[in-house]
Amino acid sequence: MTARFVRLQVILFLALGLLVVRLAHLQLVRGAYYRRLAEQNRLRLVPEPAPRGLIVDRRGRLLASNQTVFRVAIVPQELEDFPAVIQHVSALAHRPPDALKREYRRERSLAFMPATVVSYVPKDVAIRLEETRWKFPGLLVKPETVRHYPGGSSAAHLLGYLSQPTAEELPALKPYGVRPQHLVGRTGLERLLDQELRGRPGGLMVEVDHRARQVRVIGRRAPEAGAQVTLALDAPLQSLIEQAFGTQPGGCVVLDPETGEVLAMVSVPAFPPEAFIGPNTSVVRSLLDDPRAPLMNRATVGVYLPGSILKLVTASAALEAHVITPATTMGCPGSLTIGDRVFHCWNLDGHGPMTLRDALVQSCNVYFMQVGRRLGLKRLRAALEAVGFSRRTGWPLEEQRGHLPDRHLTEGEVAMLAMGQGEVLVTVLQGAVMAAAFANHGWAVEPWVVREIDHRPLPRRPSRRRIPWSPETLEVVRAGMEAVVQDPNGTGHRAFSPLVSVAGKTGTAQTHLPGKTHGWFVGFCPVDHPRAAMAVLAEYGGSGGDLPAEIARSVCEYVAAPEAL
Amino acid sequence: MRLSLRSSRAWDGTVLAAAASLAFLGGLAMCSATSAVNPQLGLRHATWIALGLALSFVVARLSPQRWMDAAGVAYGLTVSALALLLGAGAVRLGATRWLSVFGLSLQPSELMKLTTITLLARYLAGQPRPLPLRAVGVSLLMASVPALLIFLQPDLGSASIFGAIWVGMVWMAGGSPRLFTGIAASLLALLPIGWHLLHDYQRDRLLVFVNPHADPLGAGYTIIQSVIAIGSGQWLGRGWFAGTQNQLSFLPERHSDFIFSVIGEEWGFAGSAAVVALFGMLLGRTLHIARELSDPQGRLFLAGICAWLGYQVFVNIGMVMGLVPVVGVPLPLISYGGSSMITVWMALGLLQSLRRWEVHE
Repeated sequence: MTARFVRLQVILFLALGLLVVRLAHLQLVRGAYYRRLAEQNRLRLVPEPAPRGLIVDRRGRLLASNQTVFRVAIVPQELEDFPAVIQHVSALAHRPPDALKREYRRERSLAFMPATVVSYVPKDVAIRLEETRWKFPGLLVKPETVRHYPGGSSAAHLLGYLSQPTAEELPALKPYGVRPQHLVGRTGLERLLDQELRGRPGGLMVEVDHRARQVRVIGRRAPEAGAQVTLALDAPLQSLIEQAFGTQPGGCVVLDPETGEVLAMVSVPAFPPEAFIGPNTSVVRSLLDDPRAPLMNRATVGVYLPGSILKLVTASAALEAHVITPATTMGCPGSLTIGDRVFHCWNLDGHGPMTLRDALVQSCNVYFMQVGRRLGLKRLRAALEAVGFSRRTGWPLEEQRGHLPDRHLTEGEVAMLAMGQGEVLVTVLQGAVMAAAFANHGWAVEPWVVREIDHRPLPRRPSRRRIPWSPETLEVVRAGMEAVVQDPNGTGHRAFSPLVSVAGKTGTAQTHLPGKTHGWFVGFCPVDHPRAAMAVLAEYGGSGGDLPAEIARSVCEYVAAPEAL
Repeated sequence: MRLSLRSSRAWDGTVLAAAASLAFLGGLAMCSATSAVNPQLGLRHATWIALGLALSFVVARLSPQRWMDAAGVAYGLTVSALALLLGAGAVRLGATRWLSVFGLSLQPSELMKLTTITLLARYLAGQPRPLPLRAVGVSLLMASVPALLIFLQPDLGSASIFGAIWVGMVWMAGGSPRLFTGIAASLLALLPIGWHLLHDYQRDRLLVFVNPHADPLGAGYTIIQSVIAIGSGQWLGRGWFAGTQNQLSFLPERHSDFIFSVIGEEWGFAGSAAVVALFGMLLGRTLHIARELSDPQGRLFLAGICAWLGYQVFVNIGMVMGLVPVVGVPLPLISYGGSSMITVWMALGLLQSLRRWEVHE
């Protein structure tokens, strides 16, 4: 063993000797060089931002991309005649010289770092500046990539926007290479997938002299572009719906009823996401101050009275509970008295005797109030919860849960709830999930929109929840929905199309504003093998049988086209 | 060599002097390294040194046989602590290395080194020479269970220490040179597979070791700045509390894994070479004591301690000078960290106890 101890000792001293040799090399041989680097603090990091990942729709159409813009900057260490440069830029870029000087003083950091004085100049101005640059040492036109949304404000609520990180956020983002001047996702998918989209910024480490002028490059890390995100969204369908809304505020969600993929998610009015990138605060201010709340996503965050679309659930629950059959006939005299209160049907003359199918087609209030009384609050509430009302749908972005009453209701209140009035609020997204459940024979799907990140499909979550309704019940209600559109007297007849079979249900919800109603349409198409389920809401937009039904028809005709989706 | 009973009760002067000087110098460097960030850390570091020193005196009074008998239990307990940690440990710095007991954070991987060395010493001492293949396999298993648990934390640096300990001890127990060349060859062959098992940041570190200038902002930044710090120390250093790299926070992790670059910057070649020399003194003396012991268990134990501390010293100092890849290994007796400090002092206490008992026999 002793021989081995000796060898171990030799190895130990050789290893320590090697360390001393290295120390001597660093400190004694190269010491002066390192001393200079340290003393004069002569290393600088020059960041190179990474291009943000693209967001594309299901067919690869660009939803969010990057665009080259031209910035005008001044490099302090090369500057010879500051006033002349300012004068020149001012003349070409149409900015007052004082503003340029202020900007320069604010942005100026290190002698070799270009200080941006104009953050955006059109291409022709950039070219003219570049042509004359040789006469003005220190002037620099630098191309830079910024986020660009080719569709303008299309799908803005879903995509979200970018803005500069706040002082509080910065410490948490710093390890990822985010600097104050970088942009981070603020809302929507830009925020949800910020880490994937962001990529990894690169940079140069340069050695500089005592006047901070670059002497040489010591190391470089190339920036890594962010990952491309592929959505299930269909961009033409999205803009088709947006155009159909026009200036009418509202929301719309179109789902693939089998998978829960979001094919379109519309919220009107919208906003241009690019407005938040630049320093143009007046646009942002006007968006924030707009009383129509264009920043709110009406498809997921807005909560609305459902009105008669809720009757689909009342009907299903009543069939399940056997309080009615498809053949049960009830008369509608135009009003119903419960206790000492009189409730009117929307048709004051009365609909006469009605079966379930007739009641759905005509959206008879008296019929459903009577059904609601037979059903009772407990069973009605359970059914509403089963289709997902007052629950999160599982949507990965911000959403509201809506509301169902959790107190005891009077008989009259229960009757009102059964026809979709009173203490109930739902989101458009919940409406679409409900429509999808009728389309796919009783499965409540979880809506999702991101298909692929970096060309790798996400582990698809087949998360569906079975609603405990029998196939017979669903068939009866589906037939009723088809009749709503097919029947010339149906409230949803405007959704009828000779090109595709549409099923649906309208809703016209009374609001706290007298005479103002929210218009709803929920439905799916084609009836036999549904490829799209949707909910359309027109905020204070009158009857659901008008604009919402027409939008639904456009959606269905688009979806039915052989080359669509 | 016969020592009088009186002096045998006392510590081995060389070991104590070397270890105490290292801890003292480390403490001074720590004050400078932490002053800008959190001066409290310096005070806490001093507490750990005092606690470690006191504990080493307690351990030195124990009979080494008692310690050796408890090897299996101690090993089992520390392995369970590591397993528990993997399951439910607090996540810090992206790695689960600390176990919180009554508000105190413990790093079981540190104690694991000591218990593994003890178990290996006990096991290998009972084996015939030349070492049978079965004993090689069993001892490898003893070292690789904790190594694997620590690798999963993930802590590549600490896991690799168990490799060094195993190699040192098996070689000392009579493993044939052919065995080690065989292992080295098969490791080389397995390298591509191992590459896949590494985390991205660990791969980055290895790549950056090959060329630190490839990533000046990330992992390479640390090495570049550390090398500049050490080099700028020149002969006598820039003075205590006067290193610009240190004081201006250019050095990341400078109170833990990169403490040596503070020493190099502020005390220059004189100071840093002295620290290396003190380690040489400590480890050389430990090997010398080991050689004098008649009990094979004790000899193997001290060989293991030497392999452990020697490896950490070489890898840590080599790392901050850009000689070896950046793996998170603390500098014994100097880097900040209570678990590490206490474990090293306990090991030194056991060394003393072994030496003392030998004389009594």
